[in-house]
Amino acid sequence: MATMGCKQFLNQLDVWLEGEKPPDAKAHAVVCPNCRAVLEDFQAIASAASELRDESGEPPAYLWNSIRTKLEEEGIIHEPQTAPVVVPTKGWHEWFRALPRPALAGAYLALLVVAGFALSGPITKRVNDYRWIRGTRDSTASLGAHLDSVELATMASFASNPVVTDALHKNLLIVDNYISLCEKSVREEPQSEIARDYLYNAYQQKADLLAQMNEWGE
Amino acid sequence: MDTGSSVRRSWKAALVLTPAILIGSAAPVSARRLEKHFKVDARPVVTIHNPNGTVTVKAWTRSEVLVIADLIGGQADVGAEQNGNHVDVMTRQLSDNISPDDLRADYQVNVPQDAELQIHNDSGGVSVANVLGDMNVETVAAGVDLQDVAGYLTVKTVGGSFECLRCAGRVEVNSISGNFRLVDMRSKHIHAQTSTGNILFSGEFLPDGEYRLRNYSGVIELRFAPGDSFDLTATSFKGKVNNQAKLIPPAHSLGSAPRNGNALVAGSLNAAGHARVDLTSFDGTINVVKRD
Repeated sequence: MATMGCKQFLNQLDVWLEGEKPPDAKAHAVVCPNCRAVLEDFQAIASAASELRDESGEPPAYLWNSIRTKLEEEGIIHEPQTAPVVVPTKGWHEWFRALPRPALAGAYLALLVVAGFALSGPITKRVNDYRWIRGTRDSTASLGAHLDSVELATMASFASNPVVTDALHKNLLIVDNYISLCEKSVREEPQSEIARDYLYNAYQQKADLLAQMNEWGE
Repeated sequence: MDTGSSVRRSWKAALVLTPAILIGSAAPVSARRLEKHFKVDARPVVTIHNPNGTVTVKAWTRSEVLVIADLIGGQADVGAEQNGNHVDVMTRQLSDNISPDDLRADYQVNVPQDAELQIHNDSGGVSVANVLGDMNVETVAAGVDLQDVAGYLTVKTVGGSFECLRCAGRVEVNSISGNFRLVDMRSKHIHAQTSTGNILFSGEFLPDGEYRLRNYSGVIELRFAPGDSFDLTATSFKGKVNNQAKLIPPAHSLGSAPRNGNALVAGSLNAAGHARVDLTSFDGTINVVKRD
């Protein structure tokens, strides 16, 4: 039996993730390792999101670790390089570790989803547009909300030096503006890798900044 | 008795003394200086944590770390201690609810040339010269000024500027609104990213070197000499790329042709393309200009 093509399979991905598995899509997944890999990635994300939603308190350590591991495996974040010298720094993901886990677990996961959309290569225009528009609506809204809540908590507890506080406020506004402009560009050109990359980067900068503030405010 | 000249002398004395008295009274009464010495071995690690004030670090030839702290406010103290080959220096707050000026401390620190530095300074400024060990500097509003340093340099500022003069080694610098000036560089690996700041790079392009400069808005300026050799990709998503380099377009690419409306310049200077240069901006201007 001839199975469907990759394009048709990817068009049905959202249906599959919602539980419906058309027989021709199943057959394609068996024979096409690339589509199978994409499917597995999305299932892993959906599964992690589901587990996170079920947790009312702090997410389990294994989930936290697996998200971080996943981000590292995907090359979205990097451990400090070991050679040729010892790195005397902290990466943004390490700053994240300093933040309250429940608050940032969601941001981490949302960032993973955003990055998944942002970094996945172009397949077809229609699929990409659909994936990104949906991804933008679902994922960045979630990420933005998480980061906003962290921002509120962080600013409330932050320190007294007016020079520092002014600088942080000013730069948070810059990053928020940067995010808005990138989102606008992504809406205008959903398939632009540069626009998506800058949007992802803008969120990363906000997360970085909040983590930095959180660490310094301790 | 010459009363007139006596009066004139009195006025002169008053004119001289009044500013001196005013200056004296304006100076913080509580300012005090502390000095501490620590004997260290090779490659010591020196950590400095100062919320407000300047941190000036210089290398010297002694196997010793010297810390001189000027405590400007009256509500701060210096905690400086040694654990093995680590020296930790920290400005400590003596009471709650004090103003930043009360916590201000200015440091002058001398370290062996091979020392590793970890500096955290929120506001004020950081200046390091002639230190060849690895370095990690984090600031909020403080500018960072490095001269003749090497090693693995990581600098993170929120809004502080960064200036690197004759730096070697690996340089990674990140900021949100800080401007960067990287001048007379001899580094094989430079990653510089700022959102709204400007970036200037002028230096050598070493064989197999990697030079990545990225901002969101602002100007990225790369200065090159006619004899330099590198592969260049300069992309501004919504801005402009101005290029003075005579590049040989890559064999299998769009070369300088715009792609999706982006300003894009790509190609090799002097064929061999020993180093790789990536310049990326979102809506800023990229200038690739010949060095004078």
